[in-house]
Amino acid sequence: MSLEDPRDTEALEEELVGVTNEGVDYDALEDLLGEHVIGRESHLNAEAFVIRPDEVQEVLFTLRDQAGFDHLSNLSAQEYEDRYESVYHLKKYNDPTQEVTVVVPTTKRDPRSQSAEPVYRTADWHEREAYDLIGIEYDDHPDLRRILLPETWQGHPMGLDYDQDQPQVVSFENHANPLEEDHQDAESDTMFINIGPHHPATHGVLHLKTVLDGEQVADVDPDIGYLHRCEEQMAQSSKYRKEIMPYPDRWDYSSAGILNEWSYARAAEDLADLEVPEYAQVIRTMAAELSRMAGHMLAVGTFALDVYGDFTAIFQYAFRDREKILNLLEDLTGQRLMFNYLRLGGVAWDLPEPREEYFEKLRDFLDELPQTVEEYHSLLSSNEIFQIRCVDTGVLEPDVAKSYGATGPIARGSGIDYDLRRDDPYGYYPELDWDVITEDGSDNYARVLVRLQEVEQSARIIEQCVDLLAEWPEEDREIQSNVPRTLRPEEDAEIYRAVEAAKGELGIYMRSDGTDSPARFKIRSPCFSNLQTLPELSEGEYIPDMVASLGSLDIILGEVDR
Amino acid sequence: MVGMVGLLEGLVLQSGSAGGGTDSAPFADAIGGLLGFGANMGPGETLIAAFIGAFFIGNLMLAMTGVAGPWAKRKITAAFTDRLAVNRVGPFGLLIIVADAVRLLSKELIVPDGVDRPAWDIAPILMAGSALLGFAVIPMGNGIQLADPETGLVYVFAVSSLASLGLVTAGYASNNKYSLLGGLRSVAQNLAYEIPLVLTAASVVLFAGTLQMSEIVAAQTEPLFAIAGIAIPSWYAFVNPFAFVLFLAANLAEVGRNPFDIPEAPTEIVAGYQTEYSSVYFVLMYLGEFLHIFLGGAIIATLFLGGPAGPVLPGIVWFIIKIWAVFLFTQWARSAVPRVRIDQLIEIGWKGMLVLAFANLVLTAIIVGLIA
Repeated sequence: MSLEDPRDTEALEEELVGVTNEGVDYDALEDLLGEHVIGRESHLNAEAFVIRPDEVQEVLFTLRDQAGFDHLSNLSAQEYEDRYESVYHLKKYNDPTQEVTVVVPTTKRDPRSQSAEPVYRTADWHEREAYDLIGIEYDDHPDLRRILLPETWQGHPMGLDYDQDQPQVVSFENHANPLEEDHQDAESDTMFINIGPHHPATHGVLHLKTVLDGEQVADVDPDIGYLHRCEEQMAQSSKYRKEIMPYPDRWDYSSAGILNEWSYARAAEDLADLEVPEYAQVIRTMAAELSRMAGHMLAVGTFALDVYGDFTAIFQYAFRDREKILNLLEDLTGQRLMFNYLRLGGVAWDLPEPREEYFEKLRDFLDELPQTVEEYHSLLSSNEIFQIRCVDTGVLEPDVAKSYGATGPIARGSGIDYDLRRDDPYGYYPELDWDVITEDGSDNYARVLVRLQEVEQSARIIEQCVDLLAEWPEEDREIQSNVPRTLRPEEDAEIYRAVEAAKGELGIYMRSDGTDSPARFKIRSPCFSNLQTLPELSEGEYIPDMVASLGSLDIILGEVDR
Repeated sequence: MVGMVGLLEGLVLQSGSAGGGTDSAPFADAIGGLLGFGANMGPGETLIAAFIGAFFIGNLMLAMTGVAGPWAKRKITAAFTDRLAVNRVGPFGLLIIVADAVRLLSKELIVPDGVDRPAWDIAPILMAGSALLGFAVIPMGNGIQLADPETGLVYVFAVSSLASLGLVTAGYASNNKYSLLGGLRSVAQNLAYEIPLVLTAASVVLFAGTLQMSEIVAAQTEPLFAIAGIAIPSWYAFVNPFAFVLFLAANLAEVGRNPFDIPEAPTEIVAGYQTEYSSVYFVLMYLGEFLHIFLGGAIIATLFLGGPAGPVLPGIVWFIIKIWAVFLFTQWARSAVPRVRIDQLIEIGWKGMLVLAFANLVLTAIIVGLIA
């Protein structure tokens, strides 16, 4: 397996192909790939190389090992009139602005393509999803079965010829209980157990097919899709201008909605070439950081719940503090959960009047915050039992994390210095003074520390935003740029853009076909990739540690299943 | 139910009285006196008096768990987490006890497919019953003590350990893997903590020189020393604070409260051994759990806190205050302390508590030997 390949990253660092001061030298990359490249496309975010479907591994290995593209950010699959396409979006953990796209077309008659799983472990789930929804089959894939839809589903619902009205008839034989297989035979000394879909610790409808050896986890296989709501399909049948924006709120519904909205706003604005006024960017930045704090509060609170056991004080404290943030967001957006506040080209409306009063509320909250965080540290991180439960459990080594495409606090808890707010700047972040938090522990404890410190950093950002907004001259308070009533981006324009959401890299891939709604809308969910690391975190550990690791991954099933 | 447990208590009481010649049953004698049976009661009269006594004590304890389970537990947890808890039904929400009792008892008793009956039915009865039996030998002040056998302390530990049997039966008979895990965990946990618990109690026995509960209480009445005219009694919590702390910790594990609520562990194995129990059986399980907390409190009060001793108020009131204090302590731990992992728990039990308990026992033996 590729993970076990000894790689001398130091040596590779010096001779990476295609790295120049002005970004990626795509011609050098094309030379590197040589005759593998059968075509070249220009996407708005990066150049794309078209390759043959049976050379995927060779090309990706070359790009990973010789050009340093160690992050398979996303795989977007789609069907055209004449072909299927798998689009691999590659990035670098060191510098996510260096991107390259690999397009793998396959014929309509036999949509088979080589799997990228040996190169990037994260391709496992992404390709399963492409198979499930689009119908592309991947050779060499270790475990190609449906991931979001039930195993008995007929057809591939995002394919072009799929009949939405086709009834799903499942014969009795096919509906045999897939969980029936048990480990109750004379030879076996393991026990199969279903954790979920209804279980106190799965944070939603997640099903973990677990094999136990005594109290230890011998094997765990997350079964997702219980909350699949066809978000991509819904976006594809909605118009860019206003109809898509409410959906992102429903992905990560841990009140981190503004961050999700921003991912769509950023991708769509770049696709349609829209400007965002600076004033609106400051408001977006402030609202987004409030959302991030609320999301992290929930994450820390529920993690404490998983480790402590009962509904203990910390969970309630975290909810209390999240409530304060929700009040602030409600004043701003008029909503507590499904904000729908961002608009293409700006935000929906200005700060609530009287402005001074709102700033006062924000400042009061920020003044109390250091004390609150201190309280969490004394209740959680300095508790000795908490430490023996969390330190060195759920260990995720940095190179494993990269192979799985882990981002956000999970990656930063493993010492990977990767934060799109700084590395792929957007919004008003580059003008502000704040730090990216990393911890080297790679364990459950490090992830808690990262979240608690990120709350403090968010507070720093908000504080600066409040100061900026308070002094913003009244005549310059432009909240939206001039956006056409109907957006029709150029035909065949393709873009992949990501923002740093509460859980990590939240990306949107869009392809325009010249109409006012996207021809393909693909969501790269950070939770989807992060959850995929669970078997790495928990195999060989005890059940309580698996539960704690799952909690520390901080998944929101709405975002995993979409 | 109450009647049945009362019957059990009566029987045990009878056999206790028959076995040990010098055993006395002060409470039954007092009740006999009230009923006008005279000084020398016959077997029938003793039986009636003992039944009435058992009925009284059983109901007192069940009433306390009734208050503790649906109401006090919620209020205490709420106080720790900045909430109000029940406050709609009756004054201070007290009538929630009635509402909850009706609700729980009127629910359907779901018997899952493939449970191993009658083991599945016996388990909840065993759990609630074993705790009630223990109260028979606890001196509660004002002469309220059903029986006072010479081996009282051994008897208490023996009957309260029966609960482990109930736990493992429930876990095994439920035909549920979570229950099985919970049952196995509870056996591992109780094995690891019962030994330090009993050893620590043995150090008290070394001090008192008797296993008889009333004698242990009597040994703690002497003043230890006086500060500013107030005499501090020689409660074993003051005489040997180390043993007291050890016993408190081991008791938390024994009653399965944080950091040792591993057999239930809601976020890991749903509810452990009680996953499949509903309605009346669930109530019995729950009652059993709270009765065990109170029995733990009663043992702690008797061994370390001078039993019912205390100024001004009558003994029974002091006794109830003391066991509620222990209850409060368990709820505090539940709200504030994380749960340890099962392997860590076993490690703490066998490598930590057991060694400390032995050290405490040896130390006590040396001190007692030197004084004597």
